[in-house]
Amino acid sequence: MSAEGHHPAPVSPVEQRVAALEALLTERGLVPPGFIEEITRRYESEIGPMNGAKVVARSWVDPQYKQRLLADGTAAIAELGFGGPEGDHMVVVENTPGIHNVIVCTLCSCYPWPVLGLPPAWYKDPPYRARMVREPRTLLAEMGCPLPDDAEIRVWDSSAEVRYLVLPERPPGTGGLTEAELTSLVTRDSMIGTARL
Amino acid sequence: MSTPLHLSDLELPSRHGELAFDAPWQSTVFALAAAVIEHAFGGDREPFRQQLIAAIADQPGRPYWESWTTALETLAQTLPATSRPLRKDQRDDR
Repeated sequence: MSAEGHHPAPVSPVEQRVAALEALLTERGLVPPGFIEEITRRYESEIGPMNGAKVVARSWVDPQYKQRLLADGTAAIAELGFGGPEGDHMVVVENTPGIHNVIVCTLCSCYPWPVLGLPPAWYKDPPYRARMVREPRTLLAEMGCPLPDDAEIRVWDSSAEVRYLVLPERPPGTGGLTEAELTSLVTRDSMIGTARL
Repeated sequence: MSTPLHLSDLELPSRHGELAFDAPWQSTVFALAAAVIEHAFGGDREPFRQQLIAAIADQPGRPYWESWTTALETLAQTLPATSRPLRKDQRDDR
């Protein structure tokens, strides 16, 4: 026990508010037993960028899958077993040597949860949300993703209706890799569009 | 839980990962919003999303999960009181 043992760590105001919400909503019958634990477990251990990486790697090795993915992202992603909240209208945008795509949510934090998990902190911050629209080339360079001057940058503003996923280019020299090996190359940021592979 | 997720053979290498939540209250309030969306609005996320947009616009510099909390508080005030009537002893308690 620490010296503070006599006085439990003070509960922050926001913790008190969340506890009050939990009590209120539970009382209303909206929070079944175990619901919070189950949701937390899923988002901390099951739902994450690995799902999106599998989608990307599959599209690299299977041209027909890639066609389906670009034509109907939601359906093609569901083929691999991923779907659910915040992913029911998925649009996949493909990077090419001359076109770089990047996603943002200017109003809040819309993000393709089933394939990328929860958004990183910076995605939710005002500077990213504002600057990615105003000066994407500068911001991308600052984030370690400089682009050639002649590359076109397409910024996709996510919404309640549509969630975007960037399909990064397959890195050169990966012809001999298996799908599983390719999967491990795909990073979260490459699927947001703030990094290249 | 009604969410149709069919997840198998998942692994999450650390290079992909970033802890989703920095503190337990954040995961709690995240899950509470999911509960309200699912059980009070039949899966319609738009009412919560509108509150979240408003909360962020109201104080753009506020930490994200605090805006999330504010949004859920506001939404909770709009819920019909009849979701599950309180028993008399519960009402008297407050």
